[in-house]
Amino acid sequence: MTDTEERKAPTGRTPTREHLLDVYRMMRTIREFEERVHAEFATGEIPGFVHLYAGEEASAVGVCSNLDGRDTIASTHRGHGHCIARGVDVVEMMAEIYGRKTGSCHGKGGSMHIADLSKGMLGANGIVGGGPPLICGTALAAKLKGTGGVSVAFFGDGGSNQGTTLESMNLASVWNLPAVFVAENNGYAETTSSAWSVASDNIADRAAGFGMPGVIVDGFDFFAVHEAASEAIARARDGGGPTLIEMKFTRYYGHFEGDQQTYRADEVEHARAELDCLKRFADRVTETGELSRADLRAVDAQVASLIDQAVDEAKAAPLPAEADLLTDVYVRY
Amino acid sequence: MARNITYREALNEALAQEMERDESVVVMGEDNAGGAGSPGEDDAWGGVLGVTKGLYHKFPGRVLDTPISESAFIGAAIGAATAGLRPVAELMFVDFMGVCFDQIYNQAAKFRYMFGGKAVTPVVIRTMYGAGLRAAAQHSQCLYSLFTHIPGLKVVMPATPYDAKGLMIQAIRDNDPVMFFEHKALYDLTGPVPEESYTLPFGEANVVREGGDVTIVTLGRMVHTSLEAAGRLGADGVQCEVIDLRTTSPLDEDTVLDSVEGTGRLVVVDESHPRCSVAADISALAVRKAFGALQAPVEMVTAPHTPVPFSSALEDLYIPDAQRIVNAVKAVTGWTR
Amino acid sequence: MGDAIVGVVANPLSGRDIRRLVTQASVFPTAEKANMIQRMLTAFGAVGVQRVLLSTDLGGISAAVYRAIQRHRPQKPQNRQDARWPEVDFLDGQPIRQTAQDTVGAVGRMVTAGARVIVCLGGDGTARVAASAAGDVPLLALSTGTNNVFPAVREATIAGLAAGLVATGAMPPGGATTRAKLLEVRVGDRTETALVDVAVSTQRHVGARAVWDPATVTQLFCAFAEPDAIGLSSVLGQLHPVTRHEPHGVTARLAAGAPRQVLAPIAPGLVVLVGVREIEPMHPGSVHAVDARAGVIAVDGERELTFGPGERPAVRLRADGPRCVDVSAVLAASARLGLLRRAAADPGPAGTDVKGGNT
Repeated sequence: MTDTEERKAPTGRTPTREHLLDVYRMMRTIREFEERVHAEFATGEIPGFVHLYAGEEASAVGVCSNLDGRDTIASTHRGHGHCIARGVDVVEMMAEIYGRKTGSCHGKGGSMHIADLSKGMLGANGIVGGGPPLICGTALAAKLKGTGGVSVAFFGDGGSNQGTTLESMNLASVWNLPAVFVAENNGYAETTSSAWSVASDNIADRAAGFGMPGVIVDGFDFFAVHEAASEAIARARDGGGPTLIEMKFTRYYGHFEGDQQTYRADEVEHARAELDCLKRFADRVTETGELSRADLRAVDAQVASLIDQAVDEAKAAPLPAEADLLTDVYVRY
Repeated sequence: MARNITYREALNEALAQEMERDESVVVMGEDNAGGAGSPGEDDAWGGVLGVTKGLYHKFPGRVLDTPISESAFIGAAIGAATAGLRPVAELMFVDFMGVCFDQIYNQAAKFRYMFGGKAVTPVVIRTMYGAGLRAAAQHSQCLYSLFTHIPGLKVVMPATPYDAKGLMIQAIRDNDPVMFFEHKALYDLTGPVPEESYTLPFGEANVVREGGDVTIVTLGRMVHTSLEAAGRLGADGVQCEVIDLRTTSPLDEDTVLDSVEGTGRLVVVDESHPRCSVAADISALAVRKAFGALQAPVEMVTAPHTPVPFSSALEDLYIPDAQRIVNAVKAVTGWTR
Repeated sequence: MGDAIVGVVANPLSGRDIRRLVTQASVFPTAEKANMIQRMLTAFGAVGVQRVLLSTDLGGISAAVYRAIQRHRPQKPQNRQDARWPEVDFLDGQPIRQTAQDTVGAVGRMVTAGARVIVCLGGDGTARVAASAAGDVPLLALSTGTNNVFPAVREATIAGLAAGLVATGAMPPGGATTRAKLLEVRVGDRTETALVDVAVSTQRHVGARAVWDPATVTQLFCAFAEPDAIGLSSVLGQLHPVTRHEPHGVTARLAAGAPRQVLAPIAPGLVVLVGVREIEPMHPGSVHAVDARAGVIAVDGERELTFGPGERPAVRLRADGPRCVDVSAVLAASARLGLLRRAAADPGPAGTDVKGGNT
């Protein structure tokens, strides 16, 4: 097993000032990272496909801020947010997206396959529903080894219909695994609305069919996400078994960059104006006096600088060499 | 100290010895113990054909039965492998690969490469293959060529009890994902197997019979059919070299090519359908790398391009038999331009 | 007098919050809510309600009812009483934001359109929100799920008969409805109302809204506290019971180490020890200050109002809460007045079977 970092998880009840700054920084980093990728992708310099997480930050950070070095997550093709929330190096992530040798995966994986097992991040995944079975595995390993670790599977409303996801929820209950299933319902699987494709009224309603509690959370509200996730993760850690949490929110960009999004109306404008998780977080913490606007602006400036650095370094970094094509297929063939 | 045990017992012994040696080895699959949920019925089967019998009680908590959810539990075995366990998961019949193939070929096979060398996935997926039990079309296929095709997987198919134990222990200790193919008609085959633990390396074929006239390259159950054919041909003065590939990924090209360089004639015997098969792969290898040595076209003896039929009259025609191998050898030895 | 109109609002989101995880709260299927509405439509039709206004939602309730209406065939006429469903108008046209505002908007439109009774399906939260918009129109809150104190736990057909009898004006004035008490919370210029309880929590944020840890509650105000109710009011329900009908309420300060401890069923499956300090009655109109400097105020079990130093929230008991349909009283009166009695069918031509068989 690779090294794991001990990162303190804040308690569910009263995050300290330090923790609030930490989570704000993380959400802001995700937002700026994605907005920047959006801009850079439009220049044509980024190869392949990218799927942006902007708008959904409260889910990744609200959940992952409850995890520590014992825990593992698996993500989706829309994985940048989860990677950042687990502390994967942002500069290396950007280099990976640009296909550079200095990238998180040495340029071999790309946006949809960024992973860092040392940070408990089992990867973004190009296969819808690919993550949940793997998470049953890491949860099984944690249970058999007695580490107390919890495994979290993130999937979308599209992934909630994939057989792998349904099987995994059943298996996690039957084996009583320390797992949490997080359905990020942003309303669409590509162009197909979740209201149409999910036969039950809510994804959370399926939980009863798999022997676990199902909870709906406003995915734009960091504090609501954090609290619900805290309870679910504690339950898993204590041997109480898995939980299904359904986040309801909106993605700010299309399924992939280049998606014309003819299937959507005004919900993004409405969300950015009225529901945005960063705005609401900032309003809340400044209202209570836990943080000041100046504190937040300082973080914003640091994040902006980090993203600039990441892009500059990525653009300047070397591409993988020819010999790299054949490496790391096997440990030893 | 070797004694005669069955192929099944050899596998069971390999699993038991490795589980004894390394507590991160766990076994999972449908009815790998059996009787889950029925008090007093634990270890009811020990696997559908008994390979894992007895392990449940010997290693409490390390033999896990599963619901019929291949993608979930094969995926779980794979995920657990990345997290420090060494799972041996059973895909009961390789014919079921369709319901979990993504986890095998898109996840396990590709983690190490996609993640830039930062993942290790030491999972073994055991699976039953092969025709001959009248199990019909959906429980009788070979399909190892599909896995052989995938970079990142290793593919192993022992033909004897001795090879079964050695290759299984190797598979469990190997740090890459291994697809371990067990022919269902070989479970009762007996042969000498040492009591102690030992490994057989992957990528090393076994020359099970030497001969200078024809090279027969084969694998799995067809090794025995090929030896039967070679016995008959030997009586007619044609000496066949029979090579058991043991593993198709990695593949021991050198042993095959050396033999073909010596005999100039190649017959490949593979229980699979012919298209994109291991037979086709070996044939192409010989043509590409030993063309100058070939005295005749390569002959493939395979099953037909049909699903496996049920009726015994038809299934016996489906499976390559010794006579067909004899005919193929005669074709290559008798061939003139 | 105009058409007898009943408004029905159902909350699709009740029953899927964190209480499914932190308590043993039930999961109440949407299909059952739709089923309840259909049972009410039959009851409304039976007593002569002409129109029903139904809220629309994205949770499948109105869609299921719509499908049922398409398929509905009246039962074969028996005894001249034709069990038709009333005309159902779906309140379309407003964007659904999946918040409490949907309920407020729907109820407001029902009131404007002349609804004579508003039936709401949901929990305490739904009843509270519906009540805030119902004005003087009588409310019949029907419970869906556990953890509900205010709404009636009633079979929907019976509730439908009672609501229908009130809506058609068949009930004499007085006796059909009772006026509920109300708690009003003011924080600066923000106001919230509660039908059962107001709890002051040390938590800092609204978060997942529900309150399930009594250790975080420092002060409790109850419009009523029944000894056989579930929820936070049960804390005082065992120590100082107050019925719905008494004019006063009750308030107390809570502290884990208080000498007086009570086992209270504060949520489904959650019976916990709660420490209670000073208890005092709340008289209608008197204003009670909230002691805490900062925190969140929960109304009817859901965190709603955050407050900080200097804001000084206050709670007041009011006697002018919603008018609530008293189902038992309505049906008892109906029995007395013979409102559901009908004359026997005319015998008709000789030889005709009463069940409408062949002629």
